[in-house]
Amino acid sequence: MSAGVDSHIVSLRDVRRDYALGAERVHALQGVTLDVERGDYVAIVGPSGCGKSTLLNLIGVIDQPTSGTVAIAGRRVDAMSDREATQFRLRNIGFVFQRFYLLPILSALENVALPMAEAKVSKGVRTERAAELLKYVGLGNRERHRPSELSGGEQQRVAIARALANGPTLLLADEPTGELDARTGAEIISLFQRLNADGTTIVVVTHDEDLASAARRKVHMRDGRVVDA
Amino acid sequence: MLLAALLASLLVQGSASVGRAPVPAAAPAIERRTIAIDEAFAARAHLKIGDLVSVSSRPGAIGDTVTVGAIVRRGADPSEVARGDLRVRMHLDQLQTIAGYGDRVDRFAIATTPAADIPRLIDRINRVAFGFKAYRSRDIAVETSRTFQVVSRFHRAIGIITIVASSVFLLCIMVLKVEERRRDIAALRLMGISRATVVRAIVLEAAVVAVLGSALGVVLGWVVSLFVNWHYQALYRTPLEFSMVTPPTVVFAVSLSLALGIVAGVVASLRLVRTPPLALFGR
Ligand SMILES: Nc1ncnc2c1ncn2[C@@H]1O[C@H](COP(=O)(O)OP(=O)(O)OP(=O)(O)O)[C@@H](O)[C@H]1O
Ligand SMILES: [Mg+2]
Repeated sequence: MSAGVDSHIVSLRDVRRDYALGAERVHALQGVTLDVERGDYVAIVGPSGCGKSTLLNLIGVIDQPTSGTVAIAGRRVDAMSDREATQFRLRNIGFVFQRFYLLPILSALENVALPMAEAKVSKGVRTERAAELLKYVGLGNRERHRPSELSGGEQQRVAIARALANGPTLLLADEPTGELDARTGAEIISLFQRLNADGTTIVVVTHDEDLASAARRKVHMRDGRVVDA
Repeated sequence: MLLAALLASLLVQGSASVGRAPVPAAAPAIERRTIAIDEAFAARAHLKIGDLVSVSSRPGAIGDTVTVGAIVRRGADPSEVARGDLRVRMHLDQLQTIAGYGDRVDRFAIATTPAADIPRLIDRINRVAFGFKAYRSRDIAVETSRTFQVVSRFHRAIGIITIVASSVFLLCIMVLKVEERRRDIAALRLMGISRATVVRAIVLEAAVVAVLGSALGVVLGWVVSLFVNWHYQALYRTPLEFSMVTPPTVVFAVSLSLALGIVAGVVASLRLVRTPPLALFGR
């Protein structure tokens, strides 16, 4: 890779992603070039269907481009096998979804500890770290609660703690405030700002103006292209 | 010698009858002959040990007055369970007299000691007692239990159908239940949880559920058996066990259930894990 790639945690070059929809082809991304620096906080915004989620999925190594290259933390990820991609996500990417997706039978603490168990972190260490993370997101007193016993905002904070479990290089979030009211949304926004201030690189996709304005940088998209970066 | 060895357990056929004897006013201490009757008979005729009854070959005829000397509980013989006949056991000579049958017997049974050489004994009887043919009671039992073998085969067929049908059912439920979790599983996969971990977790859960389920089934079966036995033993007055939960049954049930649970878990989880996580989310 070229020099200076180290400061770029995300580096996309002329990325295209087509979907086959029956006989038709949907050009969801039509040549996106984008760099995200270490420590940055980027909000991807744009009208519905412009390709924001598609772009985030490529950055998150859960999808592969039709053409172009994607490098995360200096590693090409656009043609990884499923096994490699899974390992890569576990160690490098933290995901936050619109709908939380916590496991209902596990406590908040266990949900946060789960990715660490997969990463073979010893039980004592992961319990300790999960407790720390819950404290960090302001849920130090909710360790034993099941997701069903938590409010939407609290569940999202557990999900964020879980995304941070293995100390990811990159935190990705697709509409993290989409299911929350304005006040709980604001808590998430300030949590993201605190995370970024503490050094986490964040890329969010959102329609939420407040969330987008809190980012250091906005990337506007339209019709599968970045219109100003 | 053989005849003296035991009370012949002969069926009193329609020709003999038993009636309650008028109690003699001042009965001197006569040595009365005794009879033994079935528990069911005793219950129906309200007889107890020591009661005097009159036995004769025809209803109403004057007969011998005898004492009920014993009330016999029937053995656990399935072939006798549903039969309604009432049994009286008499001393052989008295029976012969009453029945006017002379010094003849149709059948008699011989009790042997545990150490007896039965094949040799049978052989000897067959040579010595001309006109008689000796069988082991076990062989007779086999001969008379053909019906039960058919019933048993029928039961086995029902069992197999039940197992196959419930396996299919279990498999479907399992696939559906796992399918319900597709989004959770998709989220796990996106977080970097490997396919193997997901499959292992689902299979483990399925196995635990299967074992708990079969344990519950065994307990239920055991309770139902208690009830079934209690009911039918009272109904037929027999110590026969109608329903049994044996250790091999338990082992079979638990291992079959475990195997099915594991197979269902593997099938269900593989289906999901083979789908790319993004497709699992749906759009
Ligand atoms: N799996 C798919 N199959 C076919 N078409 C798809 C698929 N995923 C996305 N698309 C299409 O690609 C385009 C971009 O979709 P994408 O989900 O990235 O939009 P988005 O910007 O995230 O929209 P929103 O703001 O509504 O979430 C859309 O036209 C969508 O219909
Ligand atoms: Mg989207």
